[in-house]
Amino acid sequence: MSTIVLKSGHRDGHTHGDEKNYRHHKIGHKHGEGFSIDAYAYASKIRDWNPAFKVSLSWLTLILCIVLNNPYVSIVVIIAMAYLTIIVGGLSIQAYLSILTIPISFIFLSTFTIGIDFSTLPIGQYNLYLGFCYVFTSQAKLKIMFFLILKVFGAISAMEMMTLSTPSFEIISVLQRAHVPKLIAELMNLIYRYIFILMDVNNKMRNSADSRLGYCDIKTSWYTFGKIASNILIVSFKKADDYYNAMEARCYDGDLIFLEEVKKVKIIQITKAAVFIIFLILLWGFTR
Amino acid sequence: MGEPILKIKDLYYDYGNGTAALNGVSVDIYEGEKIAVIGSNGAGKSTFFLNTNGVLKPDQGEISYRGTIINKKNLKELRKNIGIVFQDADNQIIASTVMAEVGFGPMNLKLPKEEVLKRVEEALTYMNILDYRNRPPHYLSGGEKKRVSIADIIAMKSEIIIFDEPTAGLDPLNAQMLEEVLGKLCSEGKTMLISTHDVDFVYRWAERTLVFCQGKIIADGTPLEIFQNEEILKQANLKQPTMMEVYDLLVEKHLLEDTKAYPISTQAFKEMLGNM
Repeated sequence: MSTIVLKSGHRDGHTHGDEKNYRHHKIGHKHGEGFSIDAYAYASKIRDWNPAFKVSLSWLTLILCIVLNNPYVSIVVIIAMAYLTIIVGGLSIQAYLSILTIPISFIFLSTFTIGIDFSTLPIGQYNLYLGFCYVFTSQAKLKIMFFLILKVFGAISAMEMMTLSTPSFEIISVLQRAHVPKLIAELMNLIYRYIFILMDVNNKMRNSADSRLGYCDIKTSWYTFGKIASNILIVSFKKADDYYNAMEARCYDGDLIFLEEVKKVKIIQITKAAVFIIFLILLWGFTR
Repeated sequence: MGEPILKIKDLYYDYGNGTAALNGVSVDIYEGEKIAVIGSNGAGKSTFFLNTNGVLKPDQGEISYRGTIINKKNLKELRKNIGIVFQDADNQIIASTVMAEVGFGPMNLKLPKEEVLKRVEEALTYMNILDYRNRPPHYLSGGEKKRVSIADIIAMKSEIIIFDEPTAGLDPLNAQMLEEVLGKLCSEGKTMLISTHDVDFVYRWAERTLVFCQGKIIADGTPLEIFQNEEILKQANLKQPTMMEVYDLLVEKHLLEDTKAYPISTQAFKEMLGNM
């Protein structure tokens, strides 16, 4: 009886913790976004779709979006992927927008240089005198810039559909089946598992340093940072030994093999995906 | 008593820093025994466990499992039959989901996939964590991780299970859950070795106690024998279980007749006092 009580108590404790992960701040981001992406992937309602299907759909869409180079296709991709992630996958709109905005400044900076140019003469369709030179642009150029932004966002949302619905280890196992070298796949698996432990250890060390005034001024902060970095290195070596022992104790003999759940692809899913892809190509054909 | 299931003879191990971590350890372990391993930090308990499992290779000495002496060739047999639940679950959990984690051992045993799935399901049900099957370990609490690490070993169906300080860092409720699991495993006839610093736990749970001190076993007997031996307690920096202290105190104050019948639990103590 007591174990049953225990379990429900635990589950409650858990949803609470999860809620904390899902509750999102306003649009924008702060440190640890990677963690929430991971949490969203586990919470996604399309998590039980076959990972290979999701990964290939997302890659195919990404490639089509880039190769077809068509604003209508880009718009359809953006809408379709948002639909998959938000409506079907059940992610909140705020969280989705917040994640999409991570690369936004990068995109604007890089497309800006395509849209505008500088000159000493007042040329171009529109220009602005800055005192020593002219900034100029034209409708055609702005159009290129705008289409490029659409294309990039289409590509990003295709990738986000994958990362927000497929936990990393599933993506890794798909890569493994796609014959990515075993060493790389195993490394990815281990890194994914241990990055959380590393973060945890780092956090603990930082807190304990902070509680002893380790960050009271800039100079001390740098000093503490260095100390923590070297300490983490030593701790990692020690822990690596422990992990290896624990793995050996369970008959590890050189090959990391994990049990995987088989998730079947439904015919209806493949059909829908095929219709979507054909629609994209037709759309491109008609608006070319 | 029959043949010992695990026979350890003259084990020496040195970490390479001059001091011997194990300095001639010999012990016979019989099937179904409940053994507590006690001793201060750095007395060699963990090193002893890693040696018995074959992770560390002893400098000297031999281990035989069910009459077969363990060498390089049949090392896997030893690891298969002796499972260790490590002190820090985070040091043990390697996979990214609970299911893959519990399946890690059976997969390494090269069992067919259906068998692995069956064992994983059984182990998760056993530990009451079937619902967490698809969770990643980094979203589990300490107590939940501990259960996963125990399920790991249950799925391997080891005959001997070693727990390295299982109660460390657990809250009372989880510690109680752990004791229930230990009881359940016991009733299934598993042989268990548990290292701990909790003398009260040793007193109420163990049938046999090994006391480690500076790489040697300085005492081997029932908890009662060991906790009555002042010299050993002093040497290994141990204290008496509260139950024994209270009993002795009552005897000293002439409130209780000295029959040396130490009560094993609070319940037994209550009955003893009730009979007076």
